Amino acid sequence: MIAQLIEAARRRADGGADALWRRFERTTVAFEWGRLKSAGTTEEAGANLRVRSRGRVGVAGTTATDAAPDELVARALASAELGEELDLAFPTQAPLPPLTTFFDRAANAPLDDLIGIGRSLLARLERDGCRVNVAIEREATATRVANTAGAGGEYRGTGCGVSADVWRIAGDDVLVVSDALEGADLPSDEALAALVVSINARLDHALRVVASPDGALPVVFTPAGLSALMLPVTQGLSGKAVLQGISPLGAKVGEQVFDARVSLTDDPLRVGRTASRPLDDECVPSRTTCLVERGVVRRFIYDLETAARAKTKSTGHGARGIFGKPVPAYTNIVLNGAAARPAPLQLGGGLLGEIPEGLLVDELIGVGQGNVTGGAFSHPVALAYRIERGEITGRVKDAAVAGNAYELWKRVAGFGNDARWTGSRCAPSVLFEGVSVARR
Amino acid sequence: MIDRLTAALSRSRADYTEIRVERTWSTAVTFRGRRLESATASEDQGGFVRALHAGGGWGVASFTSLDRLDAMVARAGELSRAVPVDPPIRLGDVPSHHADALLDLDGDVRGVPIAEKKRLLEAYNGAMLGVSDRIVDTLAVYRDEVSEYWYVNSQGTILHELRPDITLSGTAVARRDGTIEKGLESIGMRRGWHSVQDKAAGFRAVAERAVALLDAPTVKGGTYPVILDPELAGVFIHEAFGHLSEADFVYENPQAREMMTLGRRFGKPVLNVGDNGAAPGLRGTLPFDDEGTPTQDTALIEDGILVGRLHSRETAAAMGERPTGNARAISFRHAPIVRMTNTYIADAPAGRTFDDLIRDVKLGVYACGAFGGQTMLENFSFTAAYGRMIRDGQVAELVKDVVLAGNLFQTLDRIDHIAGDFRWNQMGGGCGKAGQFPLPVTEGAPHVRIEEALVGGDVAP
Repeated sequence: MIAQLIEAARRRADGGADALWRRFERTTVAFEWGRLKSAGTTEEAGANLRVRSRGRVGVAGTTATDAAPDELVARALASAELGEELDLAFPTQAPLPPLTTFFDRAANAPLDDLIGIGRSLLARLERDGCRVNVAIEREATATRVANTAGAGGEYRGTGCGVSADVWRIAGDDVLVVSDALEGADLPSDEALAALVVSINARLDHALRVVASPDGALPVVFTPAGLSALMLPVTQGLSGKAVLQGISPLGAKVGEQVFDARVSLTDDPLRVGRTASRPLDDECVPSRTTCLVERGVVRRFIYDLETAARAKTKSTGHGARGIFGKPVPAYTNIVLNGAAARPAPLQLGGGLLGEIPEGLLVDELIGVGQGNVTGGAFSHPVALAYRIERGEITGRVKDAAVAGNAYELWKRVAGFGNDARWTGSRCAPSVLFEGVSVARR
Repeated sequence: MIDRLTAALSRSRADYTEIRVERTWSTAVTFRGRRLESATASEDQGGFVRALHAGGGWGVASFTSLDRLDAMVARAGELSRAVPVDPPIRLGDVPSHHADALLDLDGDVRGVPIAEKKRLLEAYNGAMLGVSDRIVDTLAVYRDEVSEYWYVNSQGTILHELRPDITLSGTAVARRDGTIEKGLESIGMRRGWHSVQDKAAGFRAVAERAVALLDAPTVKGGTYPVILDPELAGVFIHEAFGHLSEADFVYENPQAREMMTLGRRFGKPVLNVGDNGAAPGLRGTLPFDDEGTPTQDTALIEDGILVGRLHSRETAAAMGERPTGNARAISFRHAPIVRMTNTYIADAPAGRTFDDLIRDVKLGVYACGAFGGQTMLENFSFTAAYGRMIRDGQVAELVKDVVLAGNLFQTLDRIDHIAGDFRWNQMGGGCGKAGQFPLPVTEGAPHVRIEEALVGGDVAP
């Protein structure tokens, strides 16, 4: 379909066009409150077309794949008529990096194997007074991108996600401990064992509720808990935020903004990650982007449009769905070149030993609300633990942490030895000194 | 289409089968600052099949190519057989319905050129930008859709609906030196083009407020009597209580069931809460849910006592209660799950006014609008759009960074006065649950007083 679409667009759009066609099949298995409940399948295909006509850019998408290419082209042209002028140049063909994105084992795993994964997790997570949900999802995708400048590419990919959450309700105390694995291949037995250890360890420590400490304290953020501190930074490193003038990092390229031990890369070439791909959704070949190097801001991410507006080059971060226009988006964010460790590790990544009194934060409430880009945050804890004399002494319920992410990243007190993937971010636990902790 | 679907149903070998097909036309226009960011028209179509064999779990299939309908019906049946479930899934009884429910499109958006939609949004965006040169950025989004919907199930229900939805939102960002404040306007209705005309005043007002907030002090953290305006009270009841009343949370979880035992006191006698999927013209309103159950007004809290919950056919059967028409899916890509529709706190019968609520408050906070909120079951955190101090029974100065945090059970129990000025908040956005976002819902409430709540803009000591 994509060849006809590009051909049809070439005839009618004087400024060229690019398109994405994507098809996926997904199989899901769900265990609800401790029992197998449903199995599902999804088949979806669609196309997204962008045209440039008389200097203006328009976009159209459809899942009606039987529709005539001309109809989609007409809609994209109608969208372009309203658009602003944009000097968008479609890239020419460039060599694509070799990258394995398709794993037969994941693509062909029979339903019973997926159910087996779920059963084995349930058996290891069930305990008195708790209820467990487990979901397993496997998907196979095919993607084609092409443009009128002759660039293009296609690849197949696989993905497998396993998530589990354990609920314990005692009176009005609701405790939920969850974890998830996501990768391009089926998870190894070792990875599944690590997931079980991760949930059980956090649950064991959570059974005892203790009072929160109070004041400016050392706080360890686990790889999952780190979201509140990473979000302002990744938003600030997006070329789109820079272009809008709302990024505090906008004018800081080449400057030392973070602790000299902080490096951040975006890596679309990591084998085994679902976000990895040989080229982006705008025909730009993938490569690793160094965003922050030893505390110094190096580069922002751009797609074709934000790059054109910022008068720079796309970094290969164009992401598009079936509907809407491409946007800049990260692939795999890696803190300090961390390599994830498959083996189960101690909660806190070895950072707790030196802490006389502090907090270990695993999940916060309301991350992403408010004025994220500015860096200030203030969140009640969803799951956090008190640290006393280097040990976890129990779960803290009524506490809130606050600070400014940019200030905190200037002086990191330590990185853990427990780097792991949380979604598409790979990071270890991180210790910060002097984080505001308030008891409610 | 109906013939095609009933023919496919007749070939299913499962004990229960349902098929949903949707075809959705939508347009979206976005302005950022003075620049049009995009204007697109989309067409989305696809189907969903759910099958149940006796002794089996749900077999589910969704697809975008309708040529695959028969294959997907067969596949859903196979999947159901592949997942044995004990005890078996049962479905609450719902009489079969035949309905051709074409909701009032109120000016069919499909007949309005996208250039005209752009002009409308440009005017509202301009109303925000024109307030002051302190307004340094705006984001304005127009979105509409009309969804043609077909539903059949093997118990004889046949539905055909035309469902409109229209939303407009505007964010105004005001800045002076390092201080940034924002204002947020949002409009959403299950109606059409006519309902979103002449709305510039609301956009102007939020931009004016963003500018005013530049000079407003941060609220001093602490415990206060707090009055929630109808918007924030609605968001609060949806987020903090509504989700707990969704029966899929309790039906197979004995501890949760105990926590949510009907008859438990949740608040003072003044508190009445419900969910009404049949209220006319609201975003959460539909004649039937996505299992073919008619929607209704369901009482959840009456005189402070928990009296009901929201059900799908499955959760109702499991708990020996009646389906309430709350099984909803955001699209053909998803299975229906228990969701809210239009959730509300009812007017107090005594008919009090806002002034009655603040009269005896020496020092308190009037928290207005919602920038966001999140609940982790019994704990919640809500960010109000802005606040005003209440001093000696009078509304006083504007304050910012009003964040309410607390425990649901304690907070519900501390609602001591409710006014008689109920209104629905007809906003855009939507509710998220289990990967299904945004589901159109509405919330409504009068002014509500919490005798004591923790307010913090900044928790720093």
